[in-house]
Amino acid sequence: MGTGAKSAGQMTSRQRVMAALRREPVDRTPVCNPTSVATVELMDLADAPFPEACREPESMARLAATGYTELGFDTIMPVYTIIQESSALGCKIQWEQKDNWPTVKMREPIWEKPEDIKIPSNLLTHSDTKCVLDAIRILRKEFGDEVAIIGKTMGPWSLGYHCFGVEQFLLMSLDDPGKTKLCLEKLKEATVQFGLAQIEAGADALTLPDHATGDLVSAEYYERYLRDLHIEFVERIPAPLILHICGRTVDRMDYIAQTGMAAFHYDSKNEPAESMGVVRSRISLVGNINNPETLFSKGPEQVRKEVYKNLDAGVQLVGPECAIPLQTAIENLKEIPLAVRDWHREHATTN
Amino acid sequence: MAEITDISNDFIRQEIEEYIERPEERERNINLFARARPKMQEIAAALIDGDNDTVNRLTREALDSGIEALEVMDDGLIAGMGIVGIKFRQNFIFVPEVLACARAMKAGMAHIEPILSAAGIEPVGKVIMGTVKGDLHDIGKNLCIMMLRGSGFEVIDLGVDTAPDRFIEAVEEHDALLLGMSALLSTTMPNMGKTIEAFIDADLRDKVKIMVGGAPVTQEFADDMGADGYGKDALACVATAKKLLGVVAKTRA
Repeated sequence: MGTGAKSAGQMTSRQRVMAALRREPVDRTPVCNPTSVATVELMDLADAPFPEACREPESMARLAATGYTELGFDTIMPVYTIIQESSALGCKIQWEQKDNWPTVKMREPIWEKPEDIKIPSNLLTHSDTKCVLDAIRILRKEFGDEVAIIGKTMGPWSLGYHCFGVEQFLLMSLDDPGKTKLCLEKLKEATVQFGLAQIEAGADALTLPDHATGDLVSAEYYERYLRDLHIEFVERIPAPLILHICGRTVDRMDYIAQTGMAAFHYDSKNEPAESMGVVRSRISLVGNINNPETLFSKGPEQVRKEVYKNLDAGVQLVGPECAIPLQTAIENLKEIPLAVRDWHREHATTN
Repeated sequence: MAEITDISNDFIRQEIEEYIERPEERERNINLFARARPKMQEIAAALIDGDNDTVNRLTREALDSGIEALEVMDDGLIAGMGIVGIKFRQNFIFVPEVLACARAMKAGMAHIEPILSAAGIEPVGKVIMGTVKGDLHDIGKNLCIMMLRGSGFEVIDLGVDTAPDRFIEAVEEHDALLLGMSALLSTTMPNMGKTIEAFIDADLRDKVKIMVGGAPVTQEFADDMGADGYGKDALACVATAKKLLGVVAKTRA
C-alpha cells in the first residue's frame, strides 16, 4: 500500500501532502487537487463566482478554501485557470461567465518570432498575477500550517501556445527547432519569476502545467525540448513542483521521472499500474480520476472504483485528473476523500 | 491484385512497408499507388514529407503537362494525405508533422480548386464544422477539417465559440447534411448536447446528421448527447463523415 507506514490521524493535511510529494511515509494517502476543483455549487456556497473568483483575491481565496473546508481535500489550490500570467504577458482573454473557465484567445497571437518575446516588468504586479499572490497570502494567513497550499506557474511550452498560437508554435517546432528553443529559453523566465513569487507569498508547492501531451507531440519532443528545462526549474525553484500534462503521457513518463520534479499529475488516459511501473518511485504520481465520464457524468460508486484503482497501484496522491467540469456534483468530489479513508481502513490490518 | 513492387516510387514503397500495418489498408494503398502514374506518386511523397514547396511545384507541373486536376487531387494529394492520416492514427507522427503535411496539401489545392470549381465538379460531401460555444480551442477541429478537405469534402468552418443558433443558420444556409462539433474542455462538452437540442427545437434534427469529437469526448458521451457519430481522431472523423453521408443518402433515396 505505497507509503502507508504511520498510524491514521497523526499528520496534518499539509504534512501529509508534503511527505507524499517526497515519497516519505504518510498516515493515509492525501487527496490532492493540483489544478482546480472549483464548481458552480462551490461558487454559490462561497459567494465567489467566475470570473470574479479568477480576478479578485478575496473571492479567489474564498472559493479555493472550499476545496478543504467543504470537500475535505488535503490541498487548497486558488489558481483555477491557465491564463493568469498569459494575461500579464499581453494575451487577450475571454473571461466568460460563471459556468465556464476564462480562456486565452489563441487565435489572436501576440508574438511571431523569438525576438518579439518580452517579459514585462509588471509581470508580478499585473492585476491577474498579483491576484494569485494576494490570494495565497490570504490563505496562508487563514490556514497557517494546517493544509497544503498549492500555487501554479505555467511552463514555457504552454505559454508558447498562448502567445504564438497552437498551430503556429507547433509548426515552428518542426520548421525551426533553434528558434523554438530560443522561445522556450526566453519564456522560462516568466515561469521562474511567477513561481518564486508564489513561494514567497506562502505556497507550499507549485503545479507546473506544460502541455506537451501525447495528443499533440511525441515523447521525443518532450525529451528534446522540455526535459532539461524542467530539470532547470527544479534547480531554480525551491519548492516541490508538480508537473501537469493532460492526455496520453505514459510514453514520456520515463523522461518526466528523470527531471527531479516532486510529482506528475497524470490523466485517466494512462493506467495507474502501468504508469507506476514506468516511473518506479523516481517521482510521485497524482491523479487520475476521470473528469468527463466519471466525476461529471457518473455517481459516487464509480468515483470510488477509480480511487481504489489508484490506491491499489500505489499512487501517492489521489485526485481528479485535471480541472474538473464546473457543473460537477459536490457529492462526487466528497466521495474521493471518503473512499481514500475506507480503502486505508480496509487495508489497515495488512500493514 | 497489385504487388508493392509495382509501385515505382521508392519513398512511397517504404512508407507503406514501414507504417501501414492493417492488411486491408495495405492492399488499398498498394492498389492505389500501383496504378497511379509516377508523377502522382512524387506529389504524394512530397506531401507525406511535409514539403510544401515541392508539392506546389509538382502540382503546377502536372497540371501544365495536361494531367487532369481531378487525377492530381485523387492520386497525388488525397492519396498522400491518406497515408499521413494512418501514420497519425498509429502515433508514428504527431500534430506538428500533420500540420506540415496539411500545409503542403493546401499548396497543391491552391492550383486544383479553381479548376474544379470552374468545371462544376462536386465535392464528396459538404460538412459544417465548429468548436462549441464557450470553447476557443480549435487544433482538433482544424486537423479534422484538413483531413476532410484532404479527402475531397467541402468544409464550412465556423471557427470557435460557436453558438447553437450559428450552427443552425449555417446548416440551413449551406443546405448541409452533416455537422461536426468539437470541444476540448469538459466544461464545454455539454454544449454539444445543447446544440443538438436546439436542432430538435428548430425541427431540423431529422434533416442533418451530427458527429462530435475532441480530446475528452468519448463514444459513450457522444451517445448520451444524442449524436449520430463520434470520431476518436481526424482519420476517424473522415470515416464517420463518409458513413453518415452514406446513411443520409440511403434515407433520402
